[in-house]
Order: sequence, then C-alpha cells, then structure tokens
Amino acid sequence: MELDNLKERFFALVAPDLPNDWEVEEALEGLTGAAPDLVETVLAQVPVIWPVSNSLCYNYLGQAVGALSCFPPAELGTWVNETLDRYEKGGLQAAQRFMVHVEEEFVCRLRGIAGLRFDEVQGRLLPYVRGLAGRDLDLAAAATACTDGETIYLPREISLARGEADNFLLYKLTASFQWAFLELGSFAPASPLLPAAPDTELAWLPLARFFDSLAHPGLAADIYLQLESIRARAFLARELPGLMREALPLLPACPAWPAAGDRAGRLVSELQCYCLSGDIRDASLAAAHGRRLRHLVEPGTDAARSLELCRDLHAQWCRDAGDYHSPQPLFFQGTFRLDLVLAARNRRRRSLEQRFVDTLATVLVQTPAPGKGTGGDREQAAGEAPAPDVALVLDSGGKRHRDAEQTAFLRINNEQVALDEELEALAREVTDEFGFLPPRFISSAAGRAGRAAAIGAPGGPAGGGEVQAPVVYDEWDHRRNGFRKNWCIMTEKEIPVTRSTFIAATLARYRGQIVRLRNQFEMMRTTERFLRRQRDGDDIDLDALVESLADSRAGLPPSDRLFVRLARDGRDIAALFLVDMSNSTQGWVGTAIKEALVLICEAMEKVGDRYGIYGFSGMRRLRCETFHIKHLDEPYGDGVRQRIGSIAPQEYTRMAPAIRHMTARFAEVDARIRLLVILSDGKPEDYDDYKGEYAIEDTRHALLEARSAGIHPFCITIDHHAHEYMAHMYGAANSIFLDDVRKLPARMPEIYRVLTS
Amino acid sequence: MAGKEIRLDAHRIVDEPFYLAQGDEVRIAEISYRCGMPLLLKGPTGCGKTRFMQYLAWKLGRPLITVSCHDDLSTSDLVGRYLIRAGEAVWMDGPLTLAVRAGAICYLDEVVEARKDTTVVIHPLADDRRELPIEKRGELLRAPPEFMLAVSYNPGYQSVLKDLKPSTRQRFVALSFDYPAPDQEAEIVQREADIAPELARQLVRLAGMTRSLGDSGLAEGASTRLLIQAGKLVARGIPVRAACQVAITQALSDDPELLAAIDEMVSSLF
Repeated sequence: MELDNLKERFFALVAPDLPNDWEVEEALEGLTGAAPDLVETVLAQVPVIWPVSNSLCYNYLGQAVGALSCFPPAELGTWVNETLDRYEKGGLQAAQRFMVHVEEEFVCRLRGIAGLRFDEVQGRLLPYVRGLAGRDLDLAAAATACTDGETIYLPREISLARGEADNFLLYKLTASFQWAFLELGSFAPASPLLPAAPDTELAWLPLARFFDSLAHPGLAADIYLQLESIRARAFLARELPGLMREALPLLPACPAWPAAGDRAGRLVSELQCYCLSGDIRDASLAAAHGRRLRHLVEPGTDAARSLELCRDLHAQWCRDAGDYHSPQPLFFQGTFRLDLVLAARNRRRRSLEQRFVDTLATVLVQTPAPGKGTGGDREQAAGEAPAPDVALVLDSGGKRHRDAEQTAFLRINNEQVALDEELEALAREVTDEFGFLPPRFISSAAGRAGRAAAIGAPGGPAGGGEVQAPVVYDEWDHRRNGFRKNWCIMTEKEIPVTRSTFIAATLARYRGQIVRLRNQFEMMRTTERFLRRQRDGDDIDLDALVESLADSRAGLPPSDRLFVRLARDGRDIAALFLVDMSNSTQGWVGTAIKEALVLICEAMEKVGDRYGIYGFSGMRRLRCETFHIKHLDEPYGDGVRQRIGSIAPQEYTRMAPAIRHMTARFAEVDARIRLLVILSDGKPEDYDDYKGEYAIEDTRHALLEARSAGIHPFCITIDHHAHEYMAHMYGAANSIFLDDVRKLPARMPEIYRVLTS
Repeated sequence: MAGKEIRLDAHRIVDEPFYLAQGDEVRIAEISYRCGMPLLLKGPTGCGKTRFMQYLAWKLGRPLITVSCHDDLSTSDLVGRYLIRAGEAVWMDGPLTLAVRAGAICYLDEVVEARKDTTVVIHPLADDRRELPIEKRGELLRAPPEFMLAVSYNPGYQSVLKDLKPSTRQRFVALSFDYPAPDQEAEIVQREADIAPELARQLVRLAGMTRSLGDSGLAEGASTRLLIQAGKLVARGIPVRAACQVAITQALSDDPELLAAIDEMVSSLF
C-alpha cells in the first residue's frame, strides 16, 4: 500500500484528532511494503491504542509488523491488550519494552510456558513474609534475589517450573531463603575474624571489610554465600519442612559447571552441589573439610563458623583463583548485596540519629536550664545562645546489665535530670545499633537546642497584637501539669474550591465497592428488632403475658407491658471525621484520604447516621485552622463532594486544638453515641516547639477531655512510627494502624462498621 | 430441693482440668476468693480464660455456673422468674441466684456483650455488700463466703458500643491473660490435642506467624483453642494441612489475600 493511502486510512481512524503529518509518516513507514491484509490487521488496532496514548500508537505501528513475524495475526488483539496493560501499569517505557521483546515477553507464554510475575505474587507473599519474620519486611522486584534486611528483593519473573503453582512455590522458596539469611544473621556474624569497628562510621560493613582484606575478595564472598546457603537450607528444612519437601523436586539436579581450568570455580560449584543435594560429591573436599561442612547443617551453628571455614577454604584455593569467574548463583539463593545491606543499615542509623537528636533537643529545650528561671534568660537572645553542657548517662560503666536496675539519666550543666520513657527507649535502641552512644548525637542535639532557645521559647508570641479570632482554646502543658489559658486561636475556614475530576474518577474507580458498601451499610440500618414489654404495640408479647399471669397467680401486681413493637434500631450515632491536612499528606496519602472520604460518604448515606467532616491544619498557636467540609446535618451533595475533592495539604499538625474544637461542636449535638474519627499520617507537630512529648501529651489530654465529654475518639493512622506513641495517646483499642495507605479507602468504611456495630 | 441438688451437681468439676499457670494468677484468684472479691478476666479469645475458671472451680471445690452473655440477656434471665406449672406460679431461680444460694462460682463470659442495664444487677454482688436483691420476691439474698463472681471480656474489640462502664469495672480484681509463651503453648497444645511434641511446636509457630499479621489486616491471630482443635483433627487422622485449613485458616479471615498468605504459611510449615 502506498504511504499516501496509508496516511489517509490512518487519519480516518483517529479523526477528529489531527496528528502531525511528519510523525504519522515516520510511524507508517514500516507498513509500506507489507501485504494489504496484514496492514488491515495492524490498522484495525489503531482505534484501540490511539485514545490511550498517541506515542504508544506510533510505537505500535513501528513494531507491529516485526511482532507479527513471531505469532499468528489472530493473537494480535491479545498482544495489544497486554501492551496496554503494561502501559497502564508501568508507563510508556514498560510498554515499549514489552513490544520489543516479543519472544520472551509474549510468545513464550503463548506457547504455554507460563512464568509468574512478581506483581502477581506480591499480594500473597507479603503477608507470608511478614508472618515468617514477625516484623514489617517489604518485598520488591529486582534482577536477582537478595535482601538488605528491610526489603526482600525477588526476581521480576520466575518461569523455571511448568505450572503457575510450581512457579509460585519457587517464589516462596526464594523469599523464605532470603528470610533465612536474615534470621541466621548472615550479614553480621559475631566473629573475632571481623575487624572490630568503632561503629559510628556509616561507610563500611565489617563483613565487606573482611572480604576486602583477603587476597581474592570475590571468591571469598562467593564461598561465604555458599556456606551460608548450606546453613540456610538446613535451617529451612528444620523450620519449614513442608516447603522444603514440596520445593525440593523442583530444584535443579546440579548447578552449571564452570570452565575446565577454573579450579576455584569448581569449589564454589561443589559447594552449590552440596547445598542442592545434601552430600559432598568431591572426595578430596569431603576428606579435607567434610566434617566441618557437615557441621554447618546441624542446628545451633552460627555464621561465625561459616566465616572461619570460608577463610580456610579461601586460603587453600586463592592461589588457583587466577581465572576465577563467579558461577551463576542458584536462583533461590540469590546473591549477597552487601552494598544494599550497608545502605539499609545507614538509612536505619540516620533515621535513628535523626529521631534521637530531635527528641533529645526537644527535651533540652523544654527542660528549664538549672539555675535560671523557667522563663529562660533572654539576655543572649539576640546572639547565639550557649549550647547547654549535656551528657547522657546510660548504665554506669557502659556495660549492660539486663537484670540489674538500669541507671539512665541526663546531665545538663552538671545537674541530673531523669530521662523520659521515649528518650530512654531511643537511647537503648541507639546503643543496640551502634554498640554505644556516639557523642556527636548529643552534641548536635545540644547545639540544636541552643539555637532553638535563641530563636524563642516554645510558643512564644509570633506577631504581637493578633486580631481576636473567633474561638480560643486552652493548651495542656504536661510539664506544669496545667493548662495554658486561651493559648490557641482556632479559625474555622472554608476550603477554596477547585474544580477537578477527582470525585467522578473515584466514583468510577470504586464503583463495585461502593455498591457493596451501600448494601453492607444498608443492612446495618435495617437491623429491625422487637421491642418487648411495651405498653402498646403490634402484637402480644407472650412471654410477658405468661409472666404477668404467673405474677398475678402468685399474688403480685401483674405488669401491663404486654406488647411487642417492631422498631428499627435507633442507631442514634453522630460521627465527626477529622482529617489531617498537614503538609505531609501531599501525594498518595492525601489522595487515599480523599478517596476514603468519598467512599465513607457514599456508605454513610445508606446507614443514616449523622456525620460531619472537617479538615485541620495551621501554623503556630495563633493560627490553628479547621476547614469545613461537611457540617453534621448538612446533606451530602455536590458542594460537599467538591469540597472533598478540593482537600489539599496545608501546613502543620497541631492536632489538639482541632480535637477541642470538635469536642465543642459535639457539645451542641444530642446523640447516644458520639464518635470522633481522626485520620492522620503522623505525630502531632507544629512549626514552633510543639512536638515530641509536649505535643503528644497535649493531644492525649485533648482526647481525654473529649472522652470525658462522652465522645469516643478513634484514630486511623498510617505513620510507621505510630506504635511508639499511639497506644499512649489514644488508648490501646482506640486506634488502628494501616501499613499501606492504599488500603485506606477500602478499610475505612469497614472500620466504621466494626466500630458502630 | 432434690432437683436443685442435681442441677448443681452437674456444675461440679470432678476431674482436674489441665491448666498450665502463666504466673501467679492461681494464687491471686485463690486469695481473692478468700477475701470475697470478684474477678475480672481479660484477654484475647481462646487464650484460656474459661479453662482457668474451670481449674479454679476444681481447686476450690465449688460448682461453676457459666453464663454466656448476649445482647438479649435480661435481668430475669440472670436472677430468675415465675413460671406457670400445673396452674401454679412457681419461682425459678436464674443461674446467678442459684449460684448465690449454693455458694457456687458464677462466671459471666463475655460480659460486655450483655446490655448495660443487665450488668448493673451484679453491682451489689460485686462490692463488699455481696448481696442480691430479688425484687419480684421481695427477697434480699446474702451471698455466703463460698460464693464467687467472675466476669470476662476481650479488650481487643474496638466497637464503641462494647465497653465496660467504669462503675462496673471498678469492682473487680482484674487478671490479664494473653497467649502463653511458645514453649508453654506447645505443651498445652500437645497435651490437650494428644499429638506429638514436634507437631505442637509447629502449630504454635504457625500461630505466632498469624499473630504478627495485625498490621496486614488480621485483627486477631490464631488462638490456642484453634491450635488444639487443629491438633485434635490431626490426631484423628485428618492430614495436617487439611486440618489447619479448616481449623485455622478459614476460621481466621475471609479476606482472600490473607487466606492465601496463611495457607502458604501452613504449607511451608507442614
């Protein structure tokens, strides 16, 4: 077909769009020489792709003919659909990759060699891995399996076995193996061979340093990986016998064999063999090291033993390691990525340092300097205030006595101050991680506290004569065990409405779920129940009648409450949703919260409980803000929906004034159950020194005030550090933590349902 | 009166129930009993609260009268009512009255499920008055020293409708229960289900895994009771994976992803 003809056909297909002439020409060039019916097949898919993405469509035209040389034309539709799938999940590049690798990505599966992709197994494996580890490990895809201690990386696809079930089993085996490495402490053996590091350095890992000190680091690392794999396999056979029994038949019989001259490579392969089959085939290896190798599979051996054996094996073989090439690792053992382990450790240490310094600085700012008044001495306020002289003492002598009374206190300018629980727990975490408490943590906290003191005392007046705002609330100061009177000024504001397709998109996206929710919530509404022993009603209450007859025979005055009345259960619940609109909700979190609100509104309309929605944010005590989204008795209509759609991150999280404001609003409401649901993504915090313990105590007090006013507060949070303070702030059963913000829209109505039934 | 004796005898616990103490709860309960103080047991479902009561009743040699509370439980269900028998109105003691008269132990299981107006009838029994007014008969029963009141509830439920009023809860000696330590739990499962120690240990390990799924959406992990049930199925010939599937996995959740994950744990462990 001629190019002009093709162009004409193409423009007709994409009308009324008018794409660039030259782009179209370039894309159609590949089709010019093709057979007419082939061209028709290819063009038939254009209307499917064009509306999704124009560039994808051009790409498609370039690739289609090539792809059709790999599979029959009848499959083109399936191929295009999958391309679009990839596009929607991974963007243009993913789709392009898929189109280019026709053979691996598509044809293999077409022939029935079905692989299993990571995203297909992630949902099932994640809770499995967390259950195994008993902590929040994450899963991610990578080229080969490995772990850094916080995330287990798994291959993007496993297609070694025939069916989906078997491939899944291999995925599970791989994940379990990585877990075993973590469980066995493979990355941090307690061995005298390792260089004793003054562990403040973020730059290196003792294990990596040890390998580097040997003649052939690569060989040593490989040997160590094999020895640890042998240990891990034995460990899994003990811990997870079911898994190993099922997975063993799927494992390869023996590893890939290295080139003939590579003696060191042979050793590693022999070790892989031992890991796979459980016996040592090489006679000389068995003679020289059999006892120690077999010792590895016994329960109770530790990584230090592997390391010792690794050193000896390396010493024996490193002379032959001239042309050593690392053999292909067994897919389930993956590799040791000490760089990732180091990065994760450093991330953990930095975050720990950050938290520790923050907390200590807050404590220092809030602790009145000894010898001075609580108001603080402002003489030096203009310049740099002197950093207080601080020392933190944990367990005199630095040795840890688990059973003995632990001494822990803070020395500020030579006076002892008791540590609060949070700080003490953090300090212990630091010593566990680093082995001791690095002095620079304390000096930087002291420095920061000094600077903060120079800028101003906590909550110092921000702008002098502020205008009188509508409502004023007290703030709880736990240090003086009393209120700061009329401390926070609360303004209720309207949200600036922006137009967006958010609501329509959410309603469309959760269409099925909304229908289901509406049904569920409708069921809650129609819990009909018989009110028995009524003075009047629809039917006679036989029990009451019999009892009254009996009473009268017994000589007692018979009751006149003899009727049954069918009543809809008066739920009489009023709920207020208080939404965190702080800056940190930007992005995913904010979207999930908004979606959750839309869903809960749709559901609430069915159950008939009264509910209101407010957002809160603000900066400093003089500008606390709540945003009206829906008043309690306001009908749910377009206005409300638009306001939900317009929720946008504002400033800080001074939560307590907002809670007090909600309590005040509730005071006007007459309902049997008054429920305050708080949606938050983190600790209460404000621009000034409203943070740490002070903020938590104030919020806790505000919640206590709410509770004593007969309100049930409940918090849904997605802060990963929430466990440390949540139970204290809200009470054990009054809060819930969601590990994945994307679950929020689905979980929130469910939580509400459980709460109120 | 003969009829009453029979009714009471049914509540007597003759054989020593198996109970493995977690701490000094047995001693505390015994002393509370001697001082006439009521007990409040709290803890997750299936962790041994009811078994503890049975053991205590056996140890003290008192009958145990258990009432499972529900939201339709009325005061007369507890205290008693007049019934018509052969044209005559006969007073019939409720379980609580029966227990007070006989000096038995009355155990109100899941007391938060009962309506709050029902729970207040235990108030005068649960403080130093130790008396039960029976309004219909104009009778005021004084509890003998042998009588003991015990209630239990699960603080893990997050429903705002289900909570004990402070005026109710502040009358009790409160014992907090939790799942036993792994070794102890394995011993319990092994004895109760009559299975091999290794299997019991694996079941406990499975329970431990499910209990750490709180953040992934599983409100409560597998209880000791579930483990015992699974173990019993295995001991009577059901293959272990099938037994775990029906006794543990499906009993825990309806969420397909969680079900799949727990299934994977089962198939890894066994």
